[in-house]
Amino acid sequence: MFGGLRERLQAARARLAGSIQTAAASDLEKNSSHPPSHPASLEQPVQPASPTTPTLATKVKTFIIDRELIISEKELAGALDELEIMLLESDVALPVTDAVIAHVKKDLIGKHRRIGQSVDSLVVGTLKAALLNVLGKGFDLTEYITNHKHPVKILFTGVNGTGKTTTVAKIGFFLKQKGFTVVIGAGDTYRAGAIEQIEVHAERIGIKIIQHQQGADPSAVLFDAVQYAVSHKIDVVLADTAGRFHTKSNLMSQLDKIRRVMKPDLVIYVDEAVAGNDAVVRAYEFDRTIGADAVVLTKADMDSRGGAAISIAHTIGKPLMFLGTGQAYDDIIPFSPEGMVEELLGDV
Amino acid sequence: MLDSLSSSLKDALKKLAGKTVVDRAAVDELVKDLQRALISADVNVKLVMELSKAIRTRSLDEPPPKVMSVREHVLRIVYQELVRLIWVSTDVKLEPQTILMAGLQGSGKTTTTAKIARYFQKKGLRVGVVCADTFRPGAYDQLATLCAKINVPCFGNPHEKDALAITRQGLAAFKELEVLIVDTQGRHALEVNLIKEIIELNVLTKATHRWLVIDAALGQQASEQARRFHEAIDIDGVIITKMDGTAKGGGALSAVAETKSGIVFIGQGETIEDLERFDPDGFISRLLGMGDLRALAEKAEEAMRVDDVDVNAMMKGKFTLRDMYKQLEALNKMGPLKQIMNMLPLGNMELPEGVYDVTSTKMVRYRIIMDSMTSTELDDPALINSSRMQRIAHGAGATPDEVRELLKYYKLMQRTIKGLRGAGGKFNMQRLMKRFSGMQ
Repeated sequence: MFGGLRERLQAARARLAGSIQTAAASDLEKNSSHPPSHPASLEQPVQPASPTTPTLATKVKTFIIDRELIISEKELAGALDELEIMLLESDVALPVTDAVIAHVKKDLIGKHRRIGQSVDSLVVGTLKAALLNVLGKGFDLTEYITNHKHPVKILFTGVNGTGKTTTVAKIGFFLKQKGFTVVIGAGDTYRAGAIEQIEVHAERIGIKIIQHQQGADPSAVLFDAVQYAVSHKIDVVLADTAGRFHTKSNLMSQLDKIRRVMKPDLVIYVDEAVAGNDAVVRAYEFDRTIGADAVVLTKADMDSRGGAAISIAHTIGKPLMFLGTGQAYDDIIPFSPEGMVEELLGDV
Repeated sequence: MLDSLSSSLKDALKKLAGKTVVDRAAVDELVKDLQRALISADVNVKLVMELSKAIRTRSLDEPPPKVMSVREHVLRIVYQELVRLIWVSTDVKLEPQTILMAGLQGSGKTTTTAKIARYFQKKGLRVGVVCADTFRPGAYDQLATLCAKINVPCFGNPHEKDALAITRQGLAAFKELEVLIVDTQGRHALEVNLIKEIIELNVLTKATHRWLVIDAALGQQASEQARRFHEAIDIDGVIITKMDGTAKGGGALSAVAETKSGIVFIGQGETIEDLERFDPDGFISRLLGMGDLRALAEKAEEAMRVDDVDVNAMMKGKFTLRDMYKQLEALNKMGPLKQIMNMLPLGNMELPEGVYDVTSTKMVRYRIIMDSMTSTELDDPALINSSRMQRIAHGAGATPDEVRELLKYYKLMQRTIKGLRGAGGKFNMQRLMKRFSGMQ
């Protein structure tokens, strides 16, 4: 998972480190030969490292360990451009890419850096900080449920075809295995076959489902599901809803009504890991109109580049809770930002 | 955010406007903005780089034709390059054929299958649908329900686990029909078994067409997925779904480039009629956020006679209830207001939210209320006082509050039109119309 992104980040890491080392090398040349600061040499410090002889390399090493280095914007320009393209190719939305680049820039440029043992660790540290900065914290659902009044009501929202119904089934399965009792409200009363779909899921994983006819008012269905949970002392209510586009104001106000009627403790926004720039637009709109407490990202197994994870988390500042990684009920993994960053940037 | 992008593209174009010779720096800037616009529309990054290189070279090397300004010259090249990329003719022939649907999970295959069945049915062909999705629960129920609505036979069996067996039976059962559409389960290119299955389905059905369904929001992954589907079953057409959201569908463009095929249909809504044939001009305009004038013009032509709405009078600020009445009537034929507004080259202009919230049922109410007004009132709404309001409400079977709401909406529209005129200046409608028609 996220193999593409990992590969690219590793490349960017090497490139950034290379740029800094080159800068240090040209700095050293300047100092050792005592040339007057003629502008020509100053203007091209970003050029790829001139073939350095082993002796020079060792010199550089001792030199940069002992001295402070000032990294200038010019020296990093090439590497940063590459990092930008790499992020864009990994489906990180444009504004978010800008934010990451800005973070790396701010961290690396213009500061006196005491280069300790390795340039690499400096670069990795910066990239990690930049990614963690946009990824935010994770969200522990089991802990949340344990610490809150039962039934915990969870509402799932999102646009069409992102995998809400499947996610509801998977999370139901996950919670059941953790020892919670669960009821599902079949709130997608619009799409043909949706009720049948979730009914089969519920039956397979052995969870009670509350359903009405197709075309019924979803608020009523979900209200009934909550009532059922209260009277049967059930721990968690999972409320499925029909997919809707943030541009349809009537459907969004229907969702608003659902929220007023069932008063969810958590609103979960579901989107797919393969979505491109639009992920940001719709996540923002959903968060603005309905709110979102956490995000589930589905279809992460499609050789996904993971960009959507970074984009959405950064745009609405809400934690990622789960990643959907396949078609089976146990294909769902709790998301941890540190884990992901470690996986992306860890040593090869 | 996206609006600011398209406006920066417009700014770049503006800079070219006064120039008599092609200025390298200005072209570079334009190309950079174009890259950003295309990338944020999810077009494959490599494709964008190739494209912008070609545009840059051509803009600088080709001498602009005498009659064209520099800006028109560059715009024309941008347009031509994009068209070259996406415009492969995809004639949908009205003859007996078998269509195999393929695509990722949740891209909208089943809904699209029903829409296509409806399309052929309306053209007078006898259509049958086979549900070969044996995995997703409820898939057969969904397709069967949709098909029942339009009276198209649907073959399937929710208890059968073998997609090939179902398809074989389905083909036999529908031997007599002219168009057969086989809906398949969602799969992605890394699921080896499922890719194998679709290859077998392709062999079994001897499909005339193999169409790949792509979600408009699909990002950089589109190229890779399309390439693998193409390798497996030789995709010969792409369908973009969910174009009614805010996604620009750049992923579909990458898919088209990868499969060397064309875009067949565009799905933009949840009802069974929401399927359109692909129009490259409109698609490009949307991609760049520049307004879809050609599609609008064509749609408008269909929907209204020339003298229906006097654009000139409206632009001069004279906008009466009578104009609004005609507009509502015309809009009714053209589709939702927001869709129309999206097609206009307004780009960065903010329209008040309330303008969109008028649903079609409300529009009908409004027209009834206006029917109850006198000619003088229609020409000069300021006349309407509370006693006239009472009379109008009475005549239309409405409440005075509804009449008041209508007048409020009228004022909102009036302001919008004025704003449009204000934002006009250089960008006024007719000049834009002219410019775009000159481009083709």
